[in-house]
Amino acid sequence: MNRDKQLPLTETTYYILLALVEPAHGYLIMQKVEELSEGSVKLAAGTLYGAIENLLKHQWIEAVKSEEKRRKTYVITEAGKAMLHLDAERMQHMLAITERLLQR
Amino acid sequence: MRKFKFFIDFDKEEKWLEEMAAQGYQLVKKSLGYKFRAAEPEQAIIKIDYRSFKRQEDFMEYCTLFEDSGWQHIAGSRGSGSQYFKKVGGDPHDDIFSDQLSRAGKYKRVSKMFKDLAICYMPVFIALMSTGALDASAMLDPQQLYLTEGLWEKSGADFWKSFLFETPFALFRGFIWLVFPVFIGVYLYCAHKANKLYDKQIQA
Repeated sequence: MNRDKQLPLTETTYYILLALVEPAHGYLIMQKVEELSEGSVKLAAGTLYGAIENLLKHQWIEAVKSEEKRRKTYVITEAGKAMLHLDAERMQHMLAITERLLQR
Repeated sequence: MRKFKFFIDFDKEEKWLEEMAAQGYQLVKKSLGYKFRAAEPEQAIIKIDYRSFKRQEDFMEYCTLFEDSGWQHIAGSRGSGSQYFKKVGGDPHDDIFSDQLSRAGKYKRVSKMFKDLAICYMPVFIALMSTGALDASAMLDPQQLYLTEGLWEKSGADFWKSFLFETPFALFRGFIWLVFPVFIGVYLYCAHKANKLYDKQIQA
């Protein structure tokens, strides 16, 4: 299978991309990720900053106009959504196959 | 109060700054040395990140993100690399990194900075070498570094006076070029050390 070498996404990356389906700035991303993961993924500032930089480099997210100069707002791009879909499909397959094999 | 110290290991630097804070010395500025202000002794949590920024607005965004999540930026500037943060309230186990890979990442950036410095100086060194501006032959024949006419024919106090007077100039003429290989060596060593700390963090 010819798969993107960026896959699988890390848990952190996956949640950040999900959090950015709606535009958000850095601190809001932290809060959203914690909420989406039911408290299991808590991002620290230094880690999040590096992750945002990396996602921008891959062009999976982009900066959008923000009212506040000190807080930049980001949103997921089409390429970012495509990655989320690919990784979700990968996980769906894993889930299905796990259930089938463990039910025997 | 000013103190001069050099760290490559951020863990040790953080610990030292926390000890200083416990003794009532609050870090206010880091340039060549550390500048402290007398303050109430406190059990501070200090963490260091390593990042430089091309644009002021990126630096501002970075500081704001840390401040929003409870970390006060206490020292460091746009291009300084080391950025110092102090925890405002909260849990003493808090960190500015939440995974090992990003925690180690700052050592990668330090290592790259030292490697880039070494690479910057290498062409300068090679150019000076190949144009003959640097002359290592003085190592074998130090007499040629003395330019005083008839120096070697003098004797007694007359000789020593002239000889000792010129010695600092001679040493400067003869060995100043050593600055380049020495600094390149130091930079490469620091790059290597930081890289080792990166490996150690990754394996932790």
